[in-house]
Parts: sequence; structure tokens; C-alpha cells
Amino acid sequence: MADNAIDIEGITKRYSGHTAVRELTLRVPQGSVYGLLGPNGAGKTTTIRMILNIIAPDSGTIRIFGQPFDDRRITERMGYLPEERGLYRKMQVRNVLKFLAELKGVRGREADRRINEWLERLSLKTPEKDWGLAKVDELSRGMQQKVQFIGTLLHDPDLVILDEPFSGLDPVNAQALKDTVVDLKRRGKTVIFSTHLMDNAERLCDSVCIIARGEKVLDGAVTTVKEEHGRKNIALALAGDGMQSVASILRDRSLVRRADDSNRFFEIEMAPGANPQVLLRRIIESGASVQRFEMIQPSLHQIFLEKVGGNAPVGEGDAWGRVEEGMTGHG
Amino acid sequence: MAKLWTIIKREYLERVRSKWFLIATFLGPVFFAAIIIVPAWLASRSKATSEVYDITILDATGTGFGQRLAAAIAGDTTDKNKIPQVLVLPPAELTKAESTATRDVMSKKKTGYLVVTAQTVAGETASYAGRNASSLPDMSQIRNALRQTILASRLEKIGIDNSRTKELTFIPLEFSTDRITDRGRGGSGMASVFFGFAIGFLLYMTIIIYGQTIMSSVIEEKTSRVAEVVMSSVPTDTLLVGKVLGVGAVGLTQQILWVATTYVLLKAREPIMAKLGAPTTTFTLPEISLGAAILFLSFFILGFIFYSSLYAAVGSSVNSEQEARQAATPLMIMIVFAGVFIQPVLLNPTGTTALVLSLVPVTSPIIMPIRMAVTGVPPLEMAASIGFLVLGCAAALWLASRIYRVGLLMYGKKPTMREMARWISYSR
Repeated sequence: MADNAIDIEGITKRYSGHTAVRELTLRVPQGSVYGLLGPNGAGKTTTIRMILNIIAPDSGTIRIFGQPFDDRRITERMGYLPEERGLYRKMQVRNVLKFLAELKGVRGREADRRINEWLERLSLKTPEKDWGLAKVDELSRGMQQKVQFIGTLLHDPDLVILDEPFSGLDPVNAQALKDTVVDLKRRGKTVIFSTHLMDNAERLCDSVCIIARGEKVLDGAVTTVKEEHGRKNIALALAGDGMQSVASILRDRSLVRRADDSNRFFEIEMAPGANPQVLLRRIIESGASVQRFEMIQPSLHQIFLEKVGGNAPVGEGDAWGRVEEGMTGHG
Repeated sequence: MAKLWTIIKREYLERVRSKWFLIATFLGPVFFAAIIIVPAWLASRSKATSEVYDITILDATGTGFGQRLAAAIAGDTTDKNKIPQVLVLPPAELTKAESTATRDVMSKKKTGYLVVTAQTVAGETASYAGRNASSLPDMSQIRNALRQTILASRLEKIGIDNSRTKELTFIPLEFSTDRITDRGRGGSGMASVFFGFAIGFLLYMTIIIYGQTIMSSVIEEKTSRVAEVVMSSVPTDTLLVGKVLGVGAVGLTQQILWVATTYVLLKAREPIMAKLGAPTTTFTLPEISLGAAILFLSFFILGFIFYSSLYAAVGSSVNSEQEARQAATPLMIMIVFAGVFIQPVLLNPTGTTALVLSLVPVTSPIIMPIRMAVTGVPPLEMAASIGFLVLGCAAALWLASRIYRVGLLMYGKKPTMREMARWISYSR
């Protein structure tokens, strides 16, 4: 048990009229980077809020570092960055940070020391200018985001929960965030973040859980997930306009189940039982000049589309729209 | 506890440091000085204005009553300008004379005119029309002069010497009023009414201002999502209580500063009044015992908790200041309802209305302190009022905390009353 940072056992959260999270069970290994993936309105934020004990599940249990989640001392070991970010606009940056630190049990000089350290590390405090003395609303959006990171990490939490951390970040801050996540993991901390950006998840996460409509679709280590849930796909790139000549081959449903044009290469999913070698032979026979023919693991993105997108339209789908409205609205 | 303190500290320091707080704190006493000094100054002008001499007496009595009346209105003055003009005329021409006089007043040649007839001499009727008809001192001087002149005519009829009637009818009475409560006699009636009004008004203003402050503060935390970060560190109830106490402490600080400065200004009142050229009247503050002070304080704190927790609930259920203004209307009505009764209760502090309003938690935080200021309140009524108010606070806090913890996380459209009622039943 103690090896898991988070143990969630069959939690359910109902609001009048709909269920935001249904019988969700998941485990987050200590010291891992864990991605909570799902379309908007899948129940990610509700799950995160339950982990943080902001709301309570109707049924099921949550244990954090082996302790019941409503043990108040546990909250001091957690850091949280909410999806939409904001701070007290009229307050001095330093006072905001001190307030957030005190709420997590870091006080006095120790708090000041850490605030200085962080302000310098994220270059909010330079010999020329100390933004710590400015009011929050005098800072640029990017700087405010940095301040918010500091607020999340100031008390050196063992478990860091980031809700959609990449949304609204400029590339520089996004890179800083990735570096920070890697650094946290190196120091043995556990990081959970929710996102609908599969690229980031694939690059950063050790394990993932995909949820949709409040239910878990799949979870596990990224490598395992890929092995178990993705068929072996093939990346195919041809020289010149050779694609024309193989178009008929790719349309052969006995051989190819789906071919996804990624512009610079095709990601090809084989038909059940089809042999990739047969495909390669036929392509060569067609006279095309093969630049790349590689057995690849499907991307998380593809798994996600297959698992979630299979029975519901991806993205702006009406079904999800409704779920989201239900979850964040007042239904 | 440490975290509750952190929240209280932030609410308190951020507000006390703000410019707005400093301005309000210094303008408050100026305002209070005004409401204490201006009425006293007005009271000092209770001698009639010079306008009272600038009238025409239409004398249709045919007995020279008008001349005597003019002399009585003028008093002992020898200044010719201070003797009202008298127009003697037969009763038949009265209507025409009145319309002429009305035109004179309209064209500002005269301030007003007084009609005296045979009925006036008989002590039955007299009529006055003029620009200063609403001035109590002017009217009471005219009324006194009329009474004096009628009495003088009657005395003359029974044969009393003309020179003696003046001395018999001249009564320059100064009337002082003192208040007696269950605890004995104390202070002048006027002073305690001012005091009661000041207390009521202070509580009324503070509850409105700081209730809305709490509401805005909740909206800020909700819309900036700071609330979520705080809620991940402390229970929502702690956040709510910390806010109410922190902002309440700001209100209390401001009141203490206000009361202290007002007290100093009051001490320095006589020199100020002297500078304004007003005669200094004795104006002693009603003495406040320690017990009474504690009771005033208790009503302020309880009343504040009652209203501000409800304001916090409203703030948590909306998404913007605009929505909040509308959603807070029922609360505003409750407070204004209490405010409307400040004056009636001051005038009749022991009536049934006053009693009922000082027991109901919605109005008692404002009404009971007023009653305490102007009259003695039986201990049983006091205990009942505080008891009900404590229950009211508990209910308000309970209700607020249920709405608050759900509302803070609900974004999007404004909830209906029915939805909010449903939130109360949510576990968390």
C-alpha cells in the first residue's frame, strides 16, 4: 500500500441528474509522473478535487500515502495548481506567496527564504527588479503563472497535482513546467497532471489513466498500455509522389484496417491477422521507393482516439458537451 | 487553528492597509461630527428667524388686535424693521386682500401673511400662509404671540390695567427635558436620541458596507480560482469563518477608531460651536457602563456574523459583481427594513413594534442597541434578544456554509433559488 502515493478504490460522485465520476479505481505509484487523460468534462477535475478533499466522494475510498484522504496533515504534503489560474490581484506577490505557504504550514523566515529562492530561480527577482514587491496585477500573464507555480511548490510537496497545467502557457513557461516536472520526479516526488494534450502526456508520464464520461477506460504504465492496447502499427514513408501508387493497396481491407495520413508519413493499422511482410512486399512490387517502413507502437493519441473516440465523436461532440455542462454547471 | 489565523490575518491586513479603509476611517468622524454638531447648531437657532418679522398682518377684527399682535411678535425690540406690517380692513375685503398678499409672497416682497378676525379675538381660529410655514421656531413664536395677545385682550375685558397685562402675559419659558429610565434619571432626552441614532446608523452602515465587502471578497476568490487553492489546504468552513472574522475585525477596528475620534471631537465641541457663533448648550453624552458597552459590542459582532455569512453565501453562488448586486437584493431588503425602523423606534422605544423588532434576529442587531440607548430594556427582553440572535447566527452560518462550499466550485450560469436549496442537501 505504502508504495502508492494514491490509492483510489471505487469512488463515485453524483450530482443531481448525472454522475460525474463512476466507480473509479486507480493507483498512482510513488515517485511517478501520472497522467489523467480524458476529454473535457470526463471527470478529471472532479477526481482531482476529491483527491484534494475539496469535495467528498459519495462512495468509495481514497488513501494518500496510505492515509485516509481527509487527514488534514496530508494536505500539507500536497501541492495543487488549479486549471484556471488566478491570484489575489491587489496583493503584493510576496504576501500572496507567504499566505499560500502559511496555509501549507510553512511560516516565518523559512517561508521568506524559500520565496526568495524561487523568485530568483524563475528570474522574478533580479538585481535590477524584484517583482516580489509588485502587486499581482502589475505582472504579465506569464509572470503570474510563474508565481502560481511557486505557490504550488513552495512547501516542497511530496505529491503535486496539476490540473491542465499546459493550457494557456507560452512555450517558455511550458518548457519550464516540463523541466520542473522532471526535476520533481528526480527528487522522488509524485506528480499527477490532467491534460487532454496527448503529446505532453506521452513525453512526460510514466503511467496514465484515460477516463471518459466519469469512467475509467484504461490505465497502467505507458509502455504497458501501448503494448496491451495498441496493435503494432506501421509507419510508412515513400519517396516522391509514390503515395499515389500505393493508394489502392492501402484501401485493401483484408490487409489494412486503417491508414492515417500524418502528412510526412502514413500511420497504418494492420487488419486483424494480416502480415506486415505481405504489405511490404506488395508496396515494393507496386514500384514505389520505400524510405521508411517501421513497426511502431501506436501513440497515446491513437489509443485515446480508439478507446474514447470509438463510441463518441472526438472533440466538439455533443455528448461530451453535455457531460461538461453537467459537471461544471449547476445541473 | 493556525490556518484559521492565517486567513483572518490576510483578510484583516490586506483591508486595513488599503487606501479605502484609511479614507473611510478619517471621513467617518467628520461625518459624525456633522450629525452631532449640525443638529445642535440648528437647535441653537430655535429662536425664530428674522423672517418672522417680515410678514403682513391682515387685521379684520376692527379692535386694533393687529397692532398689539405685531408688538407681541416683535417682542421687546425697538428696531422698526422688526415690527410686522399691519393692514386694517373690513371683513368684506379680506378675500381680495389675501390674494394681494399671496402675490406679494410669491414675488418675494414678503415672507408671509397672518389673517386675524373676530374668531381670533374669541380664541378660535387664525391662519397663516407663507414661505416659512414649515419653520417650527417661527410658527411657535407666532402662535405664542397670538396666545399672548388673545389673553391680553381678555384680561383687558375684565378690567385689568393695560400696563399690567403685558407683564402678566409675558412668559419667556425655557423648557428642558430629561430622560428617566429603569436605572434612574440620566442625560438630556435630545442627547440620548442622538446617541441612539448614531449607534443605529453606525451598525446599519457597517453591516451594509462590510457585508458587501465580504461578498466581493468571496467573488474575487471564486472568479480568480484562489478559492480552490485555499480549499485544497483548509476546510471550507475554516475559510468562511476566517473571512467573516477577518473582515469583521476590520469593521470593529474602524468603529473603535470612529467612536474614539468622535469622542475627542465631542470633547472639543464647545470651542467649535463657539467658533460657529452658536451658543454652547450643555450636551452631556449619556453615560455608558461597561456592561452596556459589552452589550453594544455583542450586538455588533452577532449582527455582523448574521449578515456577513449570508453575504458570503450570496457571493459564492454568483460569478460576477453584477450578478451579485441582483442576488443580494433580498439581503439588502432585510437590512433596509431594519434601517427604516430606526426613527420610529427612537420615537417610541417601548412600543410593541420596537419590542418585536428587537427580538427578531433580522432586525434586532440594529434595533435593540437603539432601544438600549434611549430607554431601559428589561433583562429578560435583552436575554431573549441575544438568545434569538445567537440562534439566528448559528442558522445563518449553517446555511451559508452549505451554500458556500458548493457555490464556490460552481461556475457558469447563475443558480436559481431551487438549485441553491438543493445545494444545501449536498453532502460536500
